[in-house]
Amino acid sequence: MVGSRTRQPLFLCLLVILKDQFMSAAPISANAKETPDYFAIFGLPRKLWIEMNTLEQKFLQMSWKLHPDNFVNASEQERELSLKRSSELNDAYRTLRDPVARVEYLLAIEGERKEGEKKQQAPPELLEEVFELNESLDELREAKSSGEDLAEIKARLESAENNFQKKLGEVDAELQAAAREWDAALNGDAATQKKIMARLNELLNRRSYIRNLVASVGKELSEV
Amino acid sequence: MGRIVGIDLGTTNSLVAYTDPQTGQPKCIPGPYGDTLCPSVVSLDLDGSIIVGEPARRRLLTQPERTIYSVKRLMGRGPADIQTELRLFPFRIDPSSKNVIRVKLGDKIFTPPEISAFILRELKNWAEAHFGETVDRAVITVPAYFNDAQRQATKDAGKIAGLEILRLVNEPTAAALAYGLHEKPAAAGGRVAVYDLGGGTFDISVLKLISTSDGDIYQVLSTNGDTHLGGDDIDNLLQAFVHEQILQNDLLDFSPHGELAQELRKALIEVKHQLSETETATLRFSLPNDRVFTREFTRGELEALIRPVVDRTIGPVKQALVDAQLKPVDMEEVVLVGGTTRTPLIRRTVQEFFDRKPHTELNPDEVVALGAAVQANILDQGVKNMLLLDVTPLSLGIETYGGAVAKIIPRNSTIPASAQELYTTGVDNQTGIDIHVLQGERELAKDCRSLARFALRVPPAPAGMPRIEVKFLIDANGILQVGAKDLRTGEQHSIEVQPSYGINDSEIERMLEESIEYAEQDFAERQAIEARTESEAILTATAKALANSQIAGLSAEEHAKIDASVAALKESVAGGDYKLIRKRIDDLNHATEHLAELLMNSAVSTALEGRKLAEV
Repeated sequence: MVGSRTRQPLFLCLLVILKDQFMSAAPISANAKETPDYFAIFGLPRKLWIEMNTLEQKFLQMSWKLHPDNFVNASEQERELSLKRSSELNDAYRTLRDPVARVEYLLAIEGERKEGEKKQQAPPELLEEVFELNESLDELREAKSSGEDLAEIKARLESAENNFQKKLGEVDAELQAAAREWDAALNGDAATQKKIMARLNELLNRRSYIRNLVASVGKELSEV
Repeated sequence: MGRIVGIDLGTTNSLVAYTDPQTGQPKCIPGPYGDTLCPSVVSLDLDGSIIVGEPARRRLLTQPERTIYSVKRLMGRGPADIQTELRLFPFRIDPSSKNVIRVKLGDKIFTPPEISAFILRELKNWAEAHFGETVDRAVITVPAYFNDAQRQATKDAGKIAGLEILRLVNEPTAAALAYGLHEKPAAAGGRVAVYDLGGGTFDISVLKLISTSDGDIYQVLSTNGDTHLGGDDIDNLLQAFVHEQILQNDLLDFSPHGELAQELRKALIEVKHQLSETETATLRFSLPNDRVFTREFTRGELEALIRPVVDRTIGPVKQALVDAQLKPVDMEEVVLVGGTTRTPLIRRTVQEFFDRKPHTELNPDEVVALGAAVQANILDQGVKNMLLLDVTPLSLGIETYGGAVAKIIPRNSTIPASAQELYTTGVDNQTGIDIHVLQGERELAKDCRSLARFALRVPPAPAGMPRIEVKFLIDANGILQVGAKDLRTGEQHSIEVQPSYGINDSEIERMLEESIEYAEQDFAERQAIEARTESEAILTATAKALANSQIAGLSAEEHAKIDASVAALKESVAGGDYKLIRKRIDDLNHATEHLAELLMNSAVSTALEGRKLAEV
């Protein structure tokens, strides 16, 4: 049964779907592209500013065409294709409608997304504050286990959390500015584009670092 | 081709419905006793025959050890999952249970999908008696919060019952569909919350209803729930409470799962129902020591007792709203579904939470089945003025180093949805890569639900050289499919995936054979009918495709090949040999590959140009 994608008679339809229904013996012709470009799926240029209403309208129009519900009585080929195309459409919509995921995706398809070995390292300009934060977190854990009064440490941590929340907002604003630069340079020279992408990449890494920080502080505080 | 029906396979009751071709309205089909509700109870008679529904429910009292109810609670679960269940429900689990639970009815052993299949077969019989025609396809509803294994088990049950399952539809979404027909959404872009508390499961779904020039779209924005929370839990609380009282009065101690307990449960359910209508109700329960336990309950007392169950629904409701980035007041409509929502306390709680009077116009027991019939009609007739976009309730993840989980498809993603992951080897000549797929929101693999483990086979090569792309795809039923591709050779790998809590192929095969005993039709005859039905469908689809003006890209050679395959298939249908028909269907499928691609491309480009369906 392995490698076969023929539809089995109902009473012999013994395939557990997990097994191999997704596999195809013959590659689907004319569709050998490895990964579809999410921008291209919607007929959009690789710009970071997207009009959300238009994106939604296109998503809904294409859903009407591609959804597997339309192909229940169709041939095996059409059903496979509908599943493939509609899942790509949904993946594309999910990615593009989220501004941060959109930037990440753009960098990935341009080959410029580098999470790199610096992922766990604090951005230099935050070093001091991160150091203080970690100290407070240690104090909180110690105080928790020894049963000391937590109010003062808690207040300090809450203020640090607010501070990093604010920084997150700043990074988002910087990301937006860089995204506008990217759109303006879309038809510009490669060197400028590369520079902007490096900036976007750095901002994404900083954003993810701060977000993790905020999340871990939030988690510690919620357990107090 | 046989008829298509919509089935609500419920914890307490199951129903079957169809769409009336004359009126276009969905209707529930009554059984031999005139009732549309079929109790989800199965009993094995002394002569070995199977009894389903109301007669089986009566046997809960006389033959509890040969009778089972609420089997939905066991679907897609392993023995370790159901320890809480076992304290509260009289399931008789066979010690041979490993990944799949096996329950005993008398001296026979069945899996939960087999027992569910008996219920499905009973409903199929109801429908066939009603139509005077065969029923061979169905849309079955499942709780929105069902995971992959629970969905797969439901699909298996359909197969064992001899039904082709065209789609699993989420229960709250089905209810929204039924309401949509009943009452058009107030405004385009209207947000609707569906609160569905059934016998054993709770779901909350938040939908957006969109009117477009092509028709109405029901887009699920988020869903949440608890697959082990429902009216059963209320009954358990009541039963434990009264049992304790009987014990305290030193009247009698009895086994919580015996005949007497079942009788008490039945009497208490009546008291519970009564209290939805009146302020007080009295339990009179005859004990075997010739004494009668009498107690008056007030509605307030019941409400105090069941409040913890009702409160447990609020967490999921809040989470669903957060995920949809909406507030309670943003809901323009609130719909109540499931028999348990008849309880006044629940109606009040929901109304207070949303500050809006919920819809209760449609019978909460029937509304899910009606919605399933609507969806069945959409799929069967290709009715294209309504489209359902549902989501996956749980995040899909893969285990990474240190037992952590990397989420690859987040919860509430519109389905079908997919994700690709690239794998390589860590040491020279490594021939396998182990992959563990999970579902759930927690950060550690041990806290998530294991869906499957499998090993990627890799040709021997230096470490880091192989490039295997694994594609995880959640289909429109919410069920996972996995495929892999060697990026260096372009070769597709087949993946042997053993579901962690599923039945394997050979077991389903055996169950199918055994279930034939219960089926009226001969196996080979059935095969021939199905092969013919399928060829009709593909011949119609092919003829329609060839008539399309958009297929200029098809070469004369390809066209001739399709024509030849069509002729060969028609010839085989006339002959009646189902194996040959199957083969010819496959041939035609292969011949039309490029044609399908061309049509899909043309459909998409017209969609992108914003043209309406009618212009295509």
